Amino acid sequence: MFFWQLVVSGLSIGSLYALVSLGIVLLYRTSRVLNFAHGEMSMIATMVAYSLLTAGGVAFGPAAVLTLAVAFAAGASFYFLVLRPVKEATLLGQIITTAGFALVLSGMAVVIWGADTKVLPFPLSRAVIYNIGGVFVNQVALGSFVVALVAMLGLYLLVQKTRFGLAMRAVSQNDVAARVLGIPVRRVFAVTWGVSATLGAIAGMLLAPVTLVHPSMMFDPFLKGFAGAVLGGLDSLPGAIVGSLIIGVVENLFGGYVSTSLRTTVAFLIIIAVLLVRPEGLFGHKFMRRV
Amino acid sequence: MRLLHRSRLALGLALVVAALAALPVMAQERGITPTEIILGTTAPLSGPAAPWGATARGIEAYLQYINEQGGIHGRTIRFEIRDDGYQPPRAVANVLELVERVGVFGIVGMIGSANAAAVRDYIFQNEVIWMTPAVESDPWIGNPNIHYLFVTYPNYYQEAKILARYAVQELGKQRVAIIYQNDQYGMNGLRGVRDALAELGMAPVAEVSYELTDVDLSVHALRIGQARADAVILYATPNHGAMAAAALAQLNPRPQILSSFTLADPIMARLAGAAWDGVIVPSYFPYPGTDEKVDRVLQILVERNPELAAMAFNALAGVTFIEPMLEGFRRAGPNLTKESFVAAMESIQNWDGELLRGVTFGPGRRQGINRIFLARMEGGVPHQLTDWIEYPVEY
Amino acid sequence: MQLIQKYEEEMALVRGWAGWMGVALLAAALLAAPWFLRGYQLYIANIIGSKIIVAIGLNLLVGYTGQISLGHVGFVAIGAYAATHFVTAFQKAAAFQWLGGPFWVALLVGGAAAAVFGVLVGLPALRLEGPYLSIVTLGFGLAVQQLLINWPAVSGGRIGLFVPTARIGPWLLNSHQSMYFLVWTCVVLLSLVAFNLTRSHVGRAFVALRDSDIAAEVTGVNLRYYKTLAFAVSAFYAGFGGALEAYVVRYLEPTMFNLYESIYYLAMVVVGGLGTIPGSMFGATLLTLLQFGLSQAQEYLPVVYGAVVILVMTIEPLGLYGRWLKIKLWSKTWPL
Repeated sequence: MFFWQLVVSGLSIGSLYALVSLGIVLLYRTSRVLNFAHGEMSMIATMVAYSLLTAGGVAFGPAAVLTLAVAFAAGASFYFLVLRPVKEATLLGQIITTAGFALVLSGMAVVIWGADTKVLPFPLSRAVIYNIGGVFVNQVALGSFVVALVAMLGLYLLVQKTRFGLAMRAVSQNDVAARVLGIPVRRVFAVTWGVSATLGAIAGMLLAPVTLVHPSMMFDPFLKGFAGAVLGGLDSLPGAIVGSLIIGVVENLFGGYVSTSLRTTVAFLIIIAVLLVRPEGLFGHKFMRRV
Repeated sequence: MRLLHRSRLALGLALVVAALAALPVMAQERGITPTEIILGTTAPLSGPAAPWGATARGIEAYLQYINEQGGIHGRTIRFEIRDDGYQPPRAVANVLELVERVGVFGIVGMIGSANAAAVRDYIFQNEVIWMTPAVESDPWIGNPNIHYLFVTYPNYYQEAKILARYAVQELGKQRVAIIYQNDQYGMNGLRGVRDALAELGMAPVAEVSYELTDVDLSVHALRIGQARADAVILYATPNHGAMAAAALAQLNPRPQILSSFTLADPIMARLAGAAWDGVIVPSYFPYPGTDEKVDRVLQILVERNPELAAMAFNALAGVTFIEPMLEGFRRAGPNLTKESFVAAMESIQNWDGELLRGVTFGPGRRQGINRIFLARMEGGVPHQLTDWIEYPVEY
Repeated sequence: MQLIQKYEEEMALVRGWAGWMGVALLAAALLAAPWFLRGYQLYIANIIGSKIIVAIGLNLLVGYTGQISLGHVGFVAIGAYAATHFVTAFQKAAAFQWLGGPFWVALLVGGAAAAVFGVLVGLPALRLEGPYLSIVTLGFGLAVQQLLINWPAVSGGRIGLFVPTARIGPWLLNSHQSMYFLVWTCVVLLSLVAFNLTRSHVGRAFVALRDSDIAAEVTGVNLRYYKTLAFAVSAFYAGFGGALEAYVVRYLEPTMFNLYESIYYLAMVVVGGLGTIPGSMFGATLLTLLQFGLSQAQEYLPVVYGAVVILVMTIEPLGLYGRWLKIKLWSKTWPL
């Protein structure tokens, strides 16, 4: 029973890593940019939700919707305001720009909201516990698991079943060709940034009851999401989900049976071992290049 | 034209560098002028340890209040704060700059064992006054160089021993476990728990560490449950403490939590909610909300810096770092020198401040307080369980 | 404008009288600095020197070979701890007591220990690339820090590890001034080595496998050898820089080697200019000065730091070195 309890709590935190991971992968697929500011953007969105819920006095539902809208707008405008101007820089230059942006955001969070830990008023409670076949699950974990599934389904429909998703996939394959075919590439990039930031905001708000709200709350989830994305294969959306769930479960099993102090190291060792066997990740596509 | 514009930017950068090299202000006794006393600190104001920066903000607000009252013997107190991001190399740079360029009379507080250890030798060699670095006591015990150091901060190790003994002897717990932060702070707690239990012929049933970056402590709680612990001693930061309490609350039966005094923070009841009910927490000064003087100080701080309302305990802790020093200034009189200050500090015997009670220094005694008391939290309100519990003076 | 006629001229480190004047001025400034800078400024200068060495090494890997390391701080940590433990062990051996700890050997030991791990981390690089490689290096950096935290025999346990003072025979390098000369001599020497490396066949092989590893292999560059070599050299520089920093700060604690530091090193290289050694110097100097010199900015410091990084990348996609080239070009064509 201890084993299953560990697995279930691993899946529950893993599903949140997966949400973070999807945002990273979505962006990487389309623009090849690894967004180091993804975690901080999610954290800022959670702070915005906090302000709306406490100082703003908005009810949870509207506040959540408003936060997602703000996150979408912020993500899209980050593309136009910061990343477009550095488009001449190398890919690594763009990545470092996102890292710089991450620093700016984490600094701003301390300046505006303070460094103290906050509680996001959340409609579900951790104190309500369900017994499912002998395994205990609390309401927050269950709720966030469901929301995460819905968000993933929504993303699947967006990418696979809409014209916009088609444009996104076209851009990710060859953005020059896509431009020639009349696809508004810049708009696609902007919207991709927006969607990625929205996913991050959902992840941030769902993590809030577990991690509580503070400027460095997303440091570890971002790292795990990134690791999950690489494990699954950086260009595969289902891979990101599977990879993140694996990390959540492995981390918990190691923490439960062996040691809680080296579990991040072990998670990374496993990823490295997998990558040595499958360099493109579990579900990634093989590299193909012209010389 | 564009090039010209950008070279102006380069000029601006050069000016910043030049400003860094600006000449210092020299005083006869470093940091003391007829109208001013200069103090400084380095604190984590940015980065993962930024919540502890509130201690420096608390000191700043309290000194602002002291200055508004006319200062001490006609001198106002200037307080210089530097950010170190919790990084020892930067803390060293800040302390060097404070002593050599700003010319401070003393360094007040300092957060982080690593930062304090990194600057320790420099401060001792240059005989800088050092008030209450917020670290464990090990570096000072048996150290011959602590003439200019004064500490009013509890000893984590001794506190952990008191908590473990209380759990076994007063609460009758048989299976004591510990959740601790995997760093110097947590290790001192672990050592204390181990030693106290060993004296009673027992051992911790589980020793579970967490990393500062961990976001989910459910595994840690599950391990505690697996070990069937009936009491858990907690050495954690406020947000990890709250996470641990929330996760432990899901265990059935729920173990009794006893936490380190760093969690004697009113914010804990808000962060952990009902999970914080029944937790036993020590303190080295009266809890806010239970003592008029303490509440008055908190009000003074919050009036001057409203942000401190959310970080009440850290802000008040900052005041406990500096409070005895201000008494030292008062006792040293108008002819303040480093030696007259040390003599004044050594004359402090069983002194009650606004926050701290029963502070005692003396020739050869640098540990100003050696006692804590325990309380049980119910709905965010502390109910005092014990009188002061003393531990031996060590330095 | 000068006309380059011979290959040696193209490859020369310093070109023309203006170049030599510049070098002479810089050398004079560096030599005179200890008499003008105050103690804490010399300390910061020493930190900058040690960061420059790490940045140059990282640039050899990232800028020249095109492999991303997100865990360089792991090598820095290994160098710092290896050097410190070597010196301490050496001092304990009675036969060598009169020597003190031979710090120059310790610096090399630090570099060599890191280089060994560089080879190990470089092995997966033979199969992985881009973000997949970066996650391996990231994992390495995190693992080193976590192992140090959980291995008190190495990290010094509860109070951290104090580093003995560097000494040459009876002469103790216990002032910031004497450390300044040590650090900056190392900076000059290691920069020269890096310069020479990049203009040798090794450097050309690095660049070839950055631009296209398959094409490089076809033209006869031994991929396995050069990729591993790049990692080893880069790690050596990081370890050497780490050992120097240990001597400068004189105290080690695992928190000094966190993930942020790896990203700062990467930022130095990119902000300075990828694939240029002076660029790494500019980048390391600017970003270290920001961090250490602007501590009065308090909680605004990360905002300023991040904004400077974004600003440099926006104005100058090639980094500070790109700007430097433009200024040089402008001064040559002046007053046009």
